[in-house]
Amino acid sequence: MAYRVIIVDDHPSFRATAKELLVAEGFEVVGEAADGRSAFEKVLELKPDLVLLDVQLPDTDGFSIATELCKHNGSGPIVVLTSSRDAADFGPLVGQCGASAFVPKAELTGAALRAVLR
Amino acid sequence: MRRLTVAGIVGLGLLLSTGAVILVLASEHEDNPIFTATAFLLMAWAFILGGIVAWRRRPDNGFGLLMTAVGMTVPIGALGAANDSFPFTLGYVFGGIFIAVFIHALLAFPRGYLETRLVFTIVTIAYLILTAGSLLTSFFDNVEDNCADCPANAFLIVDSPNAVAAINVLLIAVGLPALAASLFVFWRRWHAASRPVRRVLAPVYLTAAVTLALLALTLLVGTFSEDAGLILFWILIFCFAAVPFAFILGLLSGRLARAGVGQLVLDLGKPHAPGELREALARALGDPTLRLAYWIPDTRSFADLEGNPIELPEPDGEELVTMVEREGRTVAALIHHRSLEEDPLLVESAAATAALALESERRHAALAKAQARNRALLDAVPDLMFRMTRDGVYLEVKGRAEDLAVPPSELIGSSAHEILPKDVADPLVEGVRRAIDTGEIVTGEYRLELDGRLRDFEARIVKAGEEAVLIVREFTERNTAQAELERLHLELQQRHRELEHERDFAGTVVDSTPSLLCLVTPGGYIVRFNHSLHQLSGRVDDDLTKGNAFWDLFIAPEEREAVRRRVLEVAEEGGGGEYESTWISMDGSRHTVAWTTTPLRDDKGHPRLLICGVDITDRKEYEAELRRSRARLLEASDVERRRLERNLHDGAQQRLVSLSLALRLAQARVADDPEGADRLLSQAAEELSQALEELRELARGIHPAILSDRGLGPALEALAARSPLVIEMKLVEERLPEPVEAAAYYVVSEALTNVAKYAEASSVAVSIARVNGRAVVEIADDGIGGADPTRGSGLRGLVDRVEALDGGLEVESAPGSGTRIRAVIPCG
Repeated sequence: MAYRVIIVDDHPSFRATAKELLVAEGFEVVGEAADGRSAFEKVLELKPDLVLLDVQLPDTDGFSIATELCKHNGSGPIVVLTSSRDAADFGPLVGQCGASAFVPKAELTGAALRAVLR
Repeated sequence: MRRLTVAGIVGLGLLLSTGAVILVLASEHEDNPIFTATAFLLMAWAFILGGIVAWRRRPDNGFGLLMTAVGMTVPIGALGAANDSFPFTLGYVFGGIFIAVFIHALLAFPRGYLETRLVFTIVTIAYLILTAGSLLTSFFDNVEDNCADCPANAFLIVDSPNAVAAINVLLIAVGLPALAASLFVFWRRWHAASRPVRRVLAPVYLTAAVTLALLALTLLVGTFSEDAGLILFWILIFCFAAVPFAFILGLLSGRLARAGVGQLVLDLGKPHAPGELREALARALGDPTLRLAYWIPDTRSFADLEGNPIELPEPDGEELVTMVEREGRTVAALIHHRSLEEDPLLVESAAATAALALESERRHAALAKAQARNRALLDAVPDLMFRMTRDGVYLEVKGRAEDLAVPPSELIGSSAHEILPKDVADPLVEGVRRAIDTGEIVTGEYRLELDGRLRDFEARIVKAGEEAVLIVREFTERNTAQAELERLHLELQQRHRELEHERDFAGTVVDSTPSLLCLVTPGGYIVRFNHSLHQLSGRVDDDLTKGNAFWDLFIAPEEREAVRRRVLEVAEEGGGGEYESTWISMDGSRHTVAWTTTPLRDDKGHPRLLICGVDITDRKEYEAELRRSRARLLEASDVERRRLERNLHDGAQQRLVSLSLALRLAQARVADDPEGADRLLSQAAEELSQALEELRELARGIHPAILSDRGLGPALEALAARSPLVIEMKLVEERLPEPVEAAAYYVVSEALTNVAKYAEASSVAVSIARVNGRAVVEIADDGIGGADPTRGSGLRGLVDRVEALDGGLEVESAPGSGTRIRAVIPCG
C-alpha cells in the first residue's frame, strides 16, 4: 500500500513538482496546503501517514506545526520537515520540534522519505 | 769673623813679616838690621792684630780690614833691604804704600768708609804719590848717591838729581795740601764731636796727627838734610806703630763702642728723615739686621714707622730685644742680633743716646698708625673725596674709578674746568672758594653724564688749610626712586583708566554674550543677571527680582531643591562641575540649560557666585534627532536585509529548488516517458530564466554595479530604461564622490518607485546638478501630489541617508500640483 502524503508549502510550483516526484516514486499524495491553518485542517480531515512540511509558511512556521502534530505520541502522522535552506540554519529547532526528519528541498526523493518511514 | 779667616790673616802676616825680617837681617846695606827688623815687626803686627780685634768686634765696619791692610803692606818696605837690584828697587818704589793705606784707614775712621769726596780725593792723592810718584822718582834717582852699599836702581833711566828734586817738589806741592786737607777733616770731626766721643777719638787722632805731622816734617826735612830726615823717619815709625795700640787700648775698654755711639750722637745731631735713625743705630751697633719697634700707647703694641704692627721676637731666637725707655716710659724696642749680647754697654748706651730721637719717631709711628686708621676709615666710606686748590685744581682723589669722569692719574693736576662741563665746574669752583674764604661747609648738587648715564651728585665742600676737601655723594638712586615713584603713580592712573575701560567692556560683554549669567550671594540670592537671562526668563533685573533666590525665579519647580543644594555646596566648598537643569521662563516655556557655578569676589571684595548657563535646548533636540536618525538608518538597513533575504528565499531560491526537482524528475522519465521529460525540461528552462532575472533584479537592489563602474549618469539612465515611466533626464557629466552618487541614486530610485506606485504621473523630470560644491538632486512629477515624508519608511529612509552626509532633503507635494523632491548633498 502506498504511503499517504500531504504536502504543506506556500510555493505552488514546489508543491506541483514535489507531488509529481513523489507520485512517480510510488507515494499517494492525498492533499496539499499553502499555510499552517489549512495544513491542520487537511491533517485532521485526511489523516495522512506522512506530512511533508515546509519550514517557512506565511502564517506560522513549520516547527510550531510539527510540535502541535507530534504532541499526541504515536497517534499523529510522521512529520518530515523540508526547506530550501540547510538544516544547519535552524540549529536545535529541528530535533526539538518532534519532526522525524529534515530533508532539504533540493534533495527530496522517494528514497529519502522511505528511509524515514522504515 | 771666622777662625779660619783669622788664621789665614795671621798666617799671611807671619809669612810677610818673617820674609821682611830675613831680608833685613841679610841686608848688606842696612845700617842697623836688628832695629829695622824690630821696627817692621812692630809696625806690621801692631796693625794686623789691632785690625783683627777691630774687625771681630765690628764685622761690617771696614775699619778693621783697613788696619789689617796697613799691617800687611808694611813688610813691602822691607824689600828695600834686599841685596839684589830688582827687589831692592821694588822696595824703593812701593815701600811707602802702607802710609797711603794708613791715611785711608784714618780718614775712614770711625765709620770704615770714605764719607766725602774731599776725603776720597785726599786718599787718592796719597796712593798716587806713594806709588806713581815714587815710581817716577825711581827713573831718575841713582840710589847709590845716598847709599853706597845699596844695590843699583833697576828702574834707573837717567841719573838726574835735579829731576829727582823737581819731582819731589812736585809731589810735595801736591802732597802738602792733601795733608793739610786731611788735618782739616780731622779738625772738623773733632770739632763736631761731643765730649765722650772726643775721648774716643782723641788717642787715635792724636797719634795720627803726630804721625802725619812727622810724615810732613820728614818729607820736608828729608829734602834738606838726609840725617835729620832719617831720624825723623824713625820717630815717625814708632809713632805710627803706636796708633793701633791706642786703638786696642780704647777698644778693650769699650771706647770703640763709644766711638760708634759718638758717631751716632753726631748723626742724631743732624736733621734726619724717618728711617735714618734705624740706619744710624744699625751703623753704631754694627748690626745691619737691626729693627726698631715703636711703642704705641693707644693700642698697647709695637709698630713700625708706617704703623704696621710688630711682634717682638722670642728671647731664645737669633734676635734679642733691648727696651728703650725715657723718663720711665717705654719708647721703643731695639731688635738686634744676638752677637751684641757680648757688648751690652754698647747697646744700652746707643739706646740711651737714641731715646729722644726714638721718642720723636715713636710719635711719628703713632701718627702713621692713626693716619693709617683714618685712611682705612676714609677708604671704608663709600663717598667720593677730592682735595682741591682754590683754583679748582684736583690734588687728590679717593673713590671708585666708575664714579670719576677720568682716571685718577689724569684727574690729579687738572682743573675742574678741564674735566667737568662749564655749568658744573663754575659753581663747584665757586663753592670751593667760598668754603676756603668763609670756613663754612658749602653744599651743592650737580648732574653728570658718566658712561652714558645721567647721575646726580651732592658735594659738601670743607675748608682744609688753604685747600678744600670735597665729599661727594651720589644720589642718583634717590632721584631714580623718586622718578620711579612718579612713574608708578602715572602707571597706576593709567591702570585705573584701563580698569574702568575694562569694567565697561566687561559690562558690554556680560550683556551681549549669549551665555546666561547671574550673580548671586553665597546664599543664592540674586544680585544681578544679564540681558540673555532676561530674554530667556522674561524677568527684568530690578529691585523686585533682587533678593529672590536664584532657583525660585529661574528653575523648574521639580528641580529647585537639587539646584539649591548644588549652589550652596559650591558656596561652601568651592569648585563645582557642570550641571544640566530645566530653567523656566515667566511664560512657562522650559529650557534645558547647562550651567556652572564659580566663586568670585565683586569689586568691593564681597564673596559672590557667578552662575553661568548655556541654553542647550536646541542642542538637546538636535542630539535626540541625531540619535533617532541613526536608529532609523540602522532599522532601514535591517529591513533591507530582511527584504533581501526574503526575496532571495522566495524568489530565486525556490525557483532553483523546483528546477533541481524538475531536472531529477526529467532524468527519471527520460527513458520511459520522453515527452513528459521534454515538458519538464521546458518548464525547467523557463524556471531558470526567471530565477536569473530575479537574481539580477535583486543584485541591482543591493547595489547597482553600473553605479560604481560607470557612475551616476549611466546608472540613472539604466534605471530610467527599466522604468515604465516617461523620464526626462538632465545629468551632471563629472563623477561625484561615491557616497554622494550612491545617495543620489537611491533618492532618484526611491522617488521613481514612489512615482510609479502612487503619483499617477504622466512624466517625470530628473536633474542632477553641482552647485557651489554641493550636488542638487531633483525629481519632479506631474502627478497627484500629497506625498507626506513623515509617513512611510521610504522617504524617511532617504532623509536619513542624505542627512548622514550633512545634506538635506525637501519634499514639496501639495495635493494636485505634483511632487517635487529636492536633495542637496555636500560634495566634500
